[in-house]
Amino acid sequence: MIDRLTAALGNSRADYTEIRVERSWTTAVTFRGRRLESATASEDLGGCVRALYRGGGWGVASFTSLDRLEAMVARAAELSRAVSLDPPIRLAEVRAQQAEALLDLDGDVRGVPLADKKRLIEAYNGAMLAVSDRIVDTLAAYRDEVSEYWYVNSDGTVLHELRPEVTLSGTAVARRDGVIEKGLESIGLRRGWKSVQGREPGFREVAERAVALLDAPMVQGGTYPVILDPELAGVFIHEAFGHLSEADFVYENPQARDMMTLGRRFGKKVLNVGDNGAAPGLRGTLPFDDEGTPTQDTALITEGVLVGRLHSRETAATMGERPTGNARAISFRHPPIVRMTNTYIANGRGSFDDLIRDVKLGVYACGAFGGQTMLENFSFTAAYGRMIRDGRVAELVKDVVLAGNLFQTLDRIDHIAGDFRWNEMGGGCGKGGQSPLPVTEGAPHVRIEEALVGGDVAG
Amino acid sequence: MIEQLLERARIRADGGADALWRRVERTAIALEWGRLKAAGVTEEAGANLRVRHRGRVGVAGTTAADIAADELVGRALASAELGEELPLAFPVRAELPHVTTFFDRAAGAPLDDLIAIGRSLLARLEREGCRVNVAVEREIAETRVANSAGAAGEYRSTGVGVSAEVWRIAGDDVLAIGDVFEGANLPSDDEVEALAASINRRLDHALRIVAPPAGALPVVFTPAGLSALMLPVTQALSGKTVLQGISPLGAKVGERVFDAGFSLTDDPLCAGRAASRPLDDECVPSQTLVLVERGVVRRFIYDLETAARAKMQSTGHGVRSVFGKPVPGYTNIIVGAGGRPTGGGGGSHDLGGGLLGDVKDGLLVDDLIGVGQGNVIGGAFSHPVALAYRIERGEITGRVKDAAVAGNAYELWRRVGGFGNDGRWAGSRWAPSVLLEGVSVAGR
Repeated sequence: MIDRLTAALGNSRADYTEIRVERSWTTAVTFRGRRLESATASEDLGGCVRALYRGGGWGVASFTSLDRLEAMVARAAELSRAVSLDPPIRLAEVRAQQAEALLDLDGDVRGVPLADKKRLIEAYNGAMLAVSDRIVDTLAAYRDEVSEYWYVNSDGTVLHELRPEVTLSGTAVARRDGVIEKGLESIGLRRGWKSVQGREPGFREVAERAVALLDAPMVQGGTYPVILDPELAGVFIHEAFGHLSEADFVYENPQARDMMTLGRRFGKKVLNVGDNGAAPGLRGTLPFDDEGTPTQDTALITEGVLVGRLHSRETAATMGERPTGNARAISFRHPPIVRMTNTYIANGRGSFDDLIRDVKLGVYACGAFGGQTMLENFSFTAAYGRMIRDGRVAELVKDVVLAGNLFQTLDRIDHIAGDFRWNEMGGGCGKGGQSPLPVTEGAPHVRIEEALVGGDVAG
Repeated sequence: MIEQLLERARIRADGGADALWRRVERTAIALEWGRLKAAGVTEEAGANLRVRHRGRVGVAGTTAADIAADELVGRALASAELGEELPLAFPVRAELPHVTTFFDRAAGAPLDDLIAIGRSLLARLEREGCRVNVAVEREIAETRVANSAGAAGEYRSTGVGVSAEVWRIAGDDVLAIGDVFEGANLPSDDEVEALAASINRRLDHALRIVAPPAGALPVVFTPAGLSALMLPVTQALSGKTVLQGISPLGAKVGERVFDAGFSLTDDPLCAGRAASRPLDDECVPSQTLVLVERGVVRRFIYDLETAARAKMQSTGHGVRSVFGKPVPGYTNIIVGAGGRPTGGGGGSHDLGGGLLGDVKDGLLVDDLIGVGQGNVIGGAFSHPVALAYRIERGEITGRVKDAAVAGNAYELWRRVGGFGNDGRWAGSRWAPSVLLEGVSVAGR
């Protein structure tokens, strides 16, 4: 394959050309309630060419028929030429990489019979259903993928990788009369069959929680000190801050650049944030990004101050900074754009108890049903919450929605515990029509001095 | 390809088979922060096969061009072996309705025409202190579906999407206002102008920031702003949700649940829309389907499998991709008093569609944050506003930040204060602005 790609590259007349080819094997088994919804195995194959003439725009051609490889290399060059740009696109230097990166498959899922995968997820689904007859519906899904990846570019980079991925997800729906509650379990790793064994407890727990939420009161809307559990804190930092640190948002927008000037204070001294595409085994982990740049641990906020951002080769060159290995494409159907990998709030000090000791009345917000940021405003729906009363965790509450302004909220993070962990959730991130991109987040428990919690917002 | 696939499948599967083959060619250009930056093409083809064997159903899909029919059939049979029993019946050949899905002007447009549309939109949107992103995409597709019961259909289709977003960052105040044209043909110059005017109008009103009101207030939702109120309803009207027993509308057929002015139709035969088609992805002929008629729930949408399980008939709403199995899905959703929309958006150009006059103090909501999060199906929602304006004494007085709206969609839809005269497409949904009373509004 590499020889074929290198030959095609040699025929390109553009100043820069890259070719990416991916072949992936996927199996998926889904249960809904007691019924098997589907069990499928599929194969996907295709490629993407990006070409750049000096003074031209990006020409991109993606395709599913490899017979079209040579034609698509020519087409991408043609498209680049059709777009003229001044000042021209420049690419930051990256040392040419030659690597054969066959990641640890951790029990190659391709060797496991579909029937075994069905049995595994059926057991996890059964664990949710067995919790109570109030569990009226479930959705349990197993999905794995192994993709073989080839990448060559005209700067001399040649990569061949084998990448595993496995995800488990579970939704338990509890109902009593008109009240419906749910619990979500989600596991996603860049690993294989071995890492998804023995996961019943997590599935059981979310079903138990869905049932418990039937009796829980809605949280009283208002402003509280809020403690985020590591899962929600991770989702928060990804959504509320991470996207602003993607350099394609700022590199050609002077107003955005002003807002995100390096050196600007974003939080108190306790706050340290980064993005690490090289952390082993996580969903957002890869040795190289989709431009052949090695991934790395990039500091974004150090002691409350903005110190870095996430780059592609193009955004790095425009801003005079260094590429960080964050140009990622969801598949051969798309060109790479600036994306996060494994985004984290770094460890602080002390325990969870230290965070709540002096809180008279607060909310402990746990898990994430979802989160969205729009500009400087965000909204996150926690899976559930617990009230904090006089320094102790008290009753379960539901419909905990956190909403606020990013800048104010980051600045109100006043205490970060020393109990960091990675989320290892499935799902993924969406941007520019590319979703879901495998990413994950990590954080310790984090305290926000004051945040708006809405249930019934009109109170 | 598809005939050969079905032939092989018929030999090995005793309960029949159906298949979809689709080829898509997409051309796109992007203007990033005011500059034409990229042009791209995508060529994609793939097949999806479903078989029924010994009463069990399995599916398999592939994009590999070199795949042998026997291998794909083998994979579908392996999938069926694990599957549960399902009395799935493939529909027989039926006459297909006529709907124009292919427009020569869209299919034949050279790259330069797409660039010209992008540039003309950019020119109409550029202003001091703002940056503009524009994307233009054109898709040409060829679809073939067939089954072992003799039903078959094929059609070519075109689709065009033009989107623009204006960004204005002033200190820490970030504002982004966008709009999208979607259709089966290229937009006319008037339609490009209408897209630009829609963004400019909302931007003009957004420059002044005012304090949000608070309390249970009248709120006007624009056609785009209605999403949070529509999502629970469309989820509840899906036969799949009904079958699962979690649809609040499951037992309400024939009952008045909504305001008498609220009707909801799914129309795959709507002229000029990219989602229109003569038959669905399971060989069932398309039909215009009234789901809610003057407030009364009439029926739900079904694909073949959901219909078989629910002992109903498919309504022609099977949607399938190359991978995975068919699922029920909507085409063009039309909200309002009934009747089929014409043209692009001939109604009022005023924000709020003429509904603001009666509002003493309230909100005009165009976009919310976090729609689709949380427990959608129950109807309760609570969202911060992404773009909203304060209405005072019948007029827009400025943009509101740091406010949130909450309520229950079912309670609010029961009594509607008014439907606007500004019906338009927002994505694949046609709706006017809607005035709802007693929406919780909170500032912070």
